[in-house]
Amino acid sequence: MSAFLTYLITGLALGCSFALVASGFVAIHRVTGVVNFAQGTFAVVAGLMAGSLLGRGLPHGLAEILAILLAGAVGLVVGVIAIGKRGTPPLASLVITLGLGILAYAVEIIIWGDQPISFQMVPGSVDIAGAPILRQYLVVIAVALVTFAGLGLFFGRSYLGKALTACASNPYAARLAGINVMRMGLLAFALGGLLGGLAGVLVTPLQPVAFDSDVALATNGFAAAIFGGLNRPGLALVGGLVLGVAEAFVAGYLSGSYQTEVALALMLAIMIWRASRRVSVAEEPA
Amino acid sequence: MNAPRMVGFVLGGLVAVAALLAPLVLSGSQLTIYVLLGTAAMVTVGVSLLMGYAGQVSLGQAAFYAIGGYTAGLMGVHGLPTVAGLVCAPLVAGLLAALVGIPIMRLRGHYLAFATLAFQLILLSVVGQLEVLGGDIGLQGIPRLGIGSAQLSNTQSYAWLTWAATALVLLIARNVITSRAGRGLRALATSEIAAESSGVPVARYKLAVFALSAAFAGLAGGIYAFFLGYIAPGSFPVLLSFEFVVMAVVGGLGTIWGPVVGAAVITVLVQVLNSLGTEPGMPPYASSVFSYAVYALLLVLTLLFLPRGLLPTATEWVRRALRGREPPAAGDRPAAAVPTGDASGSPAR
Amino acid sequence: MLEVTDLVVRYGRATALDGVSLELAPGEMVALVGPNGAGKSTLVDTLSGIVAPAAGRVVLRGRLAQVPEGRQLFAELSVADNLALGAWRSGRGRAGRDPARVFEVLPDLRPLAGRLAGTLSGGEQQMVAVGRALMADPDILAVDELSLGLAPRVVADLARHLRELNAERDTTVLLIEQNARLAFDLCRRAYVLESGRITASGPCVQLAESPQVARAYFGGTTEGAGDPVPGGARDP
Repeated sequence: MSAFLTYLITGLALGCSFALVASGFVAIHRVTGVVNFAQGTFAVVAGLMAGSLLGRGLPHGLAEILAILLAGAVGLVVGVIAIGKRGTPPLASLVITLGLGILAYAVEIIIWGDQPISFQMVPGSVDIAGAPILRQYLVVIAVALVTFAGLGLFFGRSYLGKALTACASNPYAARLAGINVMRMGLLAFALGGLLGGLAGVLVTPLQPVAFDSDVALATNGFAAAIFGGLNRPGLALVGGLVLGVAEAFVAGYLSGSYQTEVALALMLAIMIWRASRRVSVAEEPA
Repeated sequence: MNAPRMVGFVLGGLVAVAALLAPLVLSGSQLTIYVLLGTAAMVTVGVSLLMGYAGQVSLGQAAFYAIGGYTAGLMGVHGLPTVAGLVCAPLVAGLLAALVGIPIMRLRGHYLAFATLAFQLILLSVVGQLEVLGGDIGLQGIPRLGIGSAQLSNTQSYAWLTWAATALVLLIARNVITSRAGRGLRALATSEIAAESSGVPVARYKLAVFALSAAFAGLAGGIYAFFLGYIAPGSFPVLLSFEFVVMAVVGGLGTIWGPVVGAAVITVLVQVLNSLGTEPGMPPYASSVFSYAVYALLLVLTLLFLPRGLLPTATEWVRRALRGREPPAAGDRPAAAVPTGDASGSPAR
Repeated sequence: MLEVTDLVVRYGRATALDGVSLELAPGEMVALVGPNGAGKSTLVDTLSGIVAPAAGRVVLRGRLAQVPEGRQLFAELSVADNLALGAWRSGRGRAGRDPARVFEVLPDLRPLAGRLAGTLSGGEQQMVAVGRALMADPDILAVDELSLGLAPRVVADLARHLRELNAERDTTVLLIEQNARLAFDLCRRAYVLESGRITASGPCVQLAESPQVARAYFGGTTEGAGDPVPGGARDP
């Protein structure tokens, strides 16, 4: 029973971290229609930066916040390059973000080297119903829930959030209404960077991060994000949790080596299922 | 035949002849680069067809490269005729692509990009756990390619084999592009809906191109396996798939020679920087930093500033120089680097 | 109010508008008719500042809001949110975004406020589109294809609202229509746009009698009025 609980809570925490990466995908896609392949990069940059700031003696809190802000700035830069040139089609933007992700490899290696780094945030573990749970897991779960509540309020209630949604819903009408679609897109990229950075800062204490951790982070985040069609933060959270729990149980009861396959196969299955549901629909919303 | 086309034919012929003669003068390590360039070009021709003609991005093309390599390698280490291995490599890769493609080619745009990436990650992970395939250590002692006792033993002979295989791939690609189906496919890359409504069997064509591109990758993988004599999951990283996309985009999508140009430019550039990066005094990570930077910058700059790719842009310049500043004929326009698709979200107006 | 002089708009090599001039006086209700592809929507988009002209001059005194062809609602947002976003340009204060003033003019919208725009009928969507444009407190309302895909009864209702707006609130209206019968019914003056040029203009009574216009627009195949095209918003 206690093993079950451990796996469950581990899975939920893992799922929350996927969901945080997913939220960045959603924030950017919902507004710009672009799938940002560099989403994993934001997390990696923040994780590495937080590690080296802490290493230089900056206090917890400040180091993490600076790292997240850096990720937000990186997000803005990626946005400027990926969508800043008028008339760049979304699929070209995707390939551009892929290129920027590779470029980030070069920069990251120069700054931080090519070895994985980690740091401690909230050390130790607590007993929940007899199951030892790392405190860091609880932090991840709490932050993710707060973040998603905030995102829900932002997109669902605030005027700016609605204007952001309007940009992807109908860019032409948004422009008619006087909304600067390009500026909103850049804002979304910055937001995506912050969210990715948040994920990175929280994940690094659990799982060392290296320059090339981005692919795994991005695929898991993307898998979570497609639960909600890349547009719905709430469903992305659900997606992340399902994925995380599934991975944790597979790793716990079967074998850790099947973890990736489970996540990826689940992602493929969901995409194919979603595609088969809209045979007659012309296009996925972009 | 008009003048620019003539120039194109002559140039193509010259390149082919020069490439055929090159193995005579290249040194050992240069020959290795020659072979790797050729195999990269073969894979890239497929990626280019897929992106430029079927309007789809594959981020997992190295998976089919791996399937070809493992097919040839496995048959080789079990004592089957190596030539059979080389023939089976593209067939198995193409067949598997057709099977996998039935569900995933229904996905569009970014979904397909992630699906192909996921396919490769799953494949690598599975291969790494299968004893028969040597697990993470890989397949070792793959015999040299040969018929009976006649073996391709030196690097030079592999260079010529690569030349012949590349020529075959280019010929097939040319036939596909100029065929009736090819014209249907071009319509497909511009607008799937328009293609469908004009009677092009969109789904079947997309699947066919996907399988064909996988077969090209499989053939390249087979040559690679026999050439190196050793393959492992680590030989086919995700980054390799990205590299093929970079080569395809940089060279120019939907053209016959574009992928060759892309593969050549990038391979040579990376090699030059590689030797620069291993100079004394350079930090140990220099060469990997250089190659990441080259891939990334070429990809991004091409997409932003030469969206049609190097070769079509250069051809256009030559054409203008030959004809004066006359605008190009409407029918000549090659596909844009990445198909605009219908997913831009802008209302049809 | 609005003065357009020798306007030229090009898309790449194609010329969409070729020397268009027109004029609207304050409080006027003017029709712009023409066949599909004549450049009508390009003209409104240019007036809205969405399309940049290659040559010519647009002088606009006051604010112009456009009711775009095909409604172009934000399908995933509620009617209330669609309306609120109409006020984005004019001011972001809470009062500016309150749709109450539009509900006064278009009371049928009030009960729809909480519905998602994408789930409404064509007529309801068109009304939301008009309401959203009104949220910008425009001096000129440019309505692009009001009747497209709507049942005649619905069109009549919307037309009545437009007439009220024009008569009671002094809003200047530019009505862009393929359905010339409707346009000539509503407006006193009209321009005919064909292949990017104004080919005729004047009082609707005269235009309707001119053999050229009669043949082109009243020849029995007036599109629009009973058109069975479903009036959905843009594909969601």
